[in-house]
This record gives sequence, structure tokens and C-alpha cells, in this order.
Amino acid sequence: MTHRRLTVVISQSPGKHPQKRSLEESIVAALLGRPEYEVAVVPNLYDLGPDHTGLLFLQAVRGNLVVLSWLYPRAAFWILDRHGIKGHFGQTRLGQSEDTTEERETPSSEGIEPQSTPGIGPSGEIPNRWIYPLDLRDAERAEDVLAEIERITLECQQRHAPHPEGNTASTVSPIWVSLGLALQRNGSVPAEIDHLPAHPGVSSDTGEPSAPATFLGPTPRRWYPVIDYSRCTNCLECLDFCLFGVYGVDAWERILVENPDQCKKGCPACSRVCPQQAIMFPEYKSPAIAGAEIGAGGSVKIDLSKLFGGDGGDALSLAVAERDRELINAGRQAVGMSVGIPKRQAHKADQPKDELDKLVDDLDNLGL
Amino acid sequence: MSEPRLFAMGKYLAVLPSELRYCKNHMWCRVGEEGIHTFGFTSYAVRLMRDVYFLEWRIEAGQFLSARQEIGFIETQKATSGLYAPVAGELIQLNAEVLQDPSLINVDCYGSGWLFQLRADISETLNVDQYHAHLESGWEPTQRLIKAQMNKLGLEE
Repeated sequence: MTHRRLTVVISQSPGKHPQKRSLEESIVAALLGRPEYEVAVVPNLYDLGPDHTGLLFLQAVRGNLVVLSWLYPRAAFWILDRHGIKGHFGQTRLGQSEDTTEERETPSSEGIEPQSTPGIGPSGEIPNRWIYPLDLRDAERAEDVLAEIERITLECQQRHAPHPEGNTASTVSPIWVSLGLALQRNGSVPAEIDHLPAHPGVSSDTGEPSAPATFLGPTPRRWYPVIDYSRCTNCLECLDFCLFGVYGVDAWERILVENPDQCKKGCPACSRVCPQQAIMFPEYKSPAIAGAEIGAGGSVKIDLSKLFGGDGGDALSLAVAERDRELINAGRQAVGMSVGIPKRQAHKADQPKDELDKLVDDLDNLGL
Repeated sequence: MSEPRLFAMGKYLAVLPSELRYCKNHMWCRVGEEGIHTFGFTSYAVRLMRDVYFLEWRIEAGQFLSARQEIGFIETQKATSGLYAPVAGELIQLNAEVLQDPSLINVDCYGSGWLFQLRADISETLNVDQYHAHLESGWEPTQRLIKAQMNKLGLEE
């Protein structure tokens, strides 16, 4: 039996940053000659609406999946989860220093999710496959990413994961709309093909893949919270706090982002009130809110906003101010602290301050 | 023109030209005519950020800014940060060249790396001695913040 192909999906940078686009193109070009990889390009994962062909493609992938994006791995993983694209979290070594990688164990194929987390975990059954979200910001060169994909390939082979029941990636036939944007300058692909080849991306004479599958339908920029269910304890404080009807609960009374597009662009207030830091806004400027694993050794950049005049203040005051601003913008009354304030905040001073709290206090005292 | 003042950031000496005004958010201000003044990052700010990769503004010429309003975003080798208006005023122009090539900020922060011009009241800005004192009083916590963040993030050189 041959090893199944590994699906590699590139989620494009939302802007037209030439360096980012160039890295994406280099990776695609390098993977295309490799029959062991199925390569697809989609717009920024976060912006994909439920009917986007890129999402339909991702949902059809049954095997192991590597997702390259400009998002923190946690954010990418839980964006996929929200769209029903589930699997075990594949830990990448991209952007990690050597000493930390030694300690990381390959998760057992029997395991469901990391057991130490307090969260309620993803809903439904987790298929027996791995999803590796890679943050392209951790890569300086395409070679770094390619080496990591090679390592993941090996890890997947060694894991001897049995095929999930039912169909496999090789039998799925999504709609292949090859715009070939990434490679058209090579002359190998016409600018627009709008047909359904029998073997997508494989040239008929050589059997070699000649173009990635691309699903680059337009995507308006979106803004909504993404819940990390490995952290979420279903305390429902976000449901109480948000006054725009973004959150709801499912039939099992589990919190979910029910109306993502009612969320107010730029407002990360609910993320600040979440006691578990389980709510991410993947495009927010502060790494902690955007889904960075603080302290996990990723190459997160430090945020100097406070030094350069950004607002200080504790998380709850910030959140209340942000919420009031959005209420007023929406022609409603500001509510301040009167609605949906978690009671635990009243006792927040009881909690020992962690190192970061102390540092932030120091900065507040600078009086910028 | 008198000698610039120097502020020691470890071994690095941040140069603070004495003829400029300064803002607490580490921007300098060159007093211009008709109330139109030029602003940019001090060498202290540039040293903290290291090489600037990416600069983005959310404001346009003609717009009125309130003090500390968020006006943009910067990404550097080591850091990201929001950018905030140093004082209230009307935005006259953004430096288009620095938007094209943010590395001008690294090589010439007091010259071609200027950021924008505002028509503004700058009576609240600091002179070089006051800014130097501001840096001294903030240096300890700033160092702690950066060191601890870098340790956490594995960014130490």
C-alpha cells in the first residue's frame, strides 16, 4: 500500500505584501514537482465564508493536513475547527529553538487532545488524523518550511495512522477551479482555467503535478472571535459580556460563535474578559489576543505599543471602553460596567499577579 | 547648534539632538513655520524596535488627530507596535518615501526617516533635557519589560 498523500494548503496573506506573496509562491513551486503532496492555495483562512470553495475543499480533505498561514497555529487550528475541519493538533517545530524541540513528544495516535488542558475540548468526534498549522511568520526562507513539511511527512508515516473509515483524500473530487495565479508567470498554466480535470493539478503526459489547486474566490475581510476549546471552560462570560449577539449556545449548552458577522470590526473586548484566554481575534495586533502561545518559544514579536503611547489600563476597563465605543457607533447607549461584567473581576486583586501583570504595571507607572 | 545629548541604553548611545522638541511616546518634533511641525522616531525608539520592516498608516492628510489616537502600525525585526499621535492636530502630510522604504527610519531617523507633519500646538512637548529625564525615569521598567518578554519569547540575541 502506498502512503497517502499529504495535503498542504497555503492560506494567503490577506494583504498584498510582496515578500509574503513571494514566500508563498516559492513554497508552492517547490512542492509542485512532488507527487507525495497535494497542494492547494486558498485566501486567508480567517476570511473564508461558509460557502467559499476553499473551505469546501478543506472540508473534503480526510487525511493529514498541513496548513501554512500567516496566523498563529492555535488560531489557524481553531478556525478550521469552527468550520468542522477537525483532527489532532500537529505540533510544528517551525520557529522553535532546538532545545525545546527535544522535549516534545510525538502525540500517541490513541490520544485525543492534550489531557492537561482545563477546556471542554472540541465538540463531536475527532477524526484520526493530524492537522499541522504552520505560521509562515516563523519561516525566514521557503527552505525552512519545506524542511518542516518533510519532517511532518516522516512523522505521519511513522505514526502508522490507520485510514479513517469511509472515503480518503484520493477519492474526493472537489471542484478544481485552477486560476493558477501563483504560477502563471512560469507559463505552465494559463491564467484562467475553469474546467474540471480528471486528476487535478496533474499534467496528463508526465503525471507530475503542474499546478496547485487554487480557490481564490474573493473574500471580504472578516472579523469575529475564534474559540480555543482546549482552553474554554464554558463559563459563558463572553455570552454575558457581548451585547451584539455574537455568541450563543448549541443544543448541548456549549458556547459557540453563533453570529460571527455581527461582531464589531476591531473590537477584541470579549477576548479580554475571557478568564481562560480562550478567545482569539487572529488579526488583532497584540499577539496574546491573536492566538500566540506566550512562553511556548515561538518567534512572537514583542508589543511595544505601551512604550509608544498605547493605552494602558486593565483588561476589563479596556474591554468596557471598547464595548461602549461600539455601542455608541451602533447608535445605542453605552452601558459601562453595568451589564455583563464577570463577578470574578471584583476579586481580581485576590489573584497573585503574574510576571506580565507586574511588568505592565511598571509601564502604566511610566505615565506616557 | 549645541551638542546633542546622549542617553545610554546599555552600550548603545541614543543621540538626542538638542534643537528638537520631544514627545513622551518617543517621537521628536522639529518646529516648523506656520504651526506646521515635523515628527519622527527618536533614536531611542529605533533602538528598541530594531530594523523597521513594515509601516502602515490609518490616517490621511487633512484629518484631525486627537492626542494618543491610534494612527498606524509598525512591524520591526523584534517588535510590533501601534502608532499613536504624539499631540493633537491636523495631519498635513505623511512621508511617502518612508512608507515606500521604512528602512529610512533605521538609517536616518532624524532626517529622511521623518514620519509626518502636523499643524499642532506643541507647547506640551519636552525639550531635550526633559526628554532625557523622561528616558532615565523609564529606562528601568522598560528594560525589565523587554528582557522578560524576550526571555519568554526566545528572542534573546
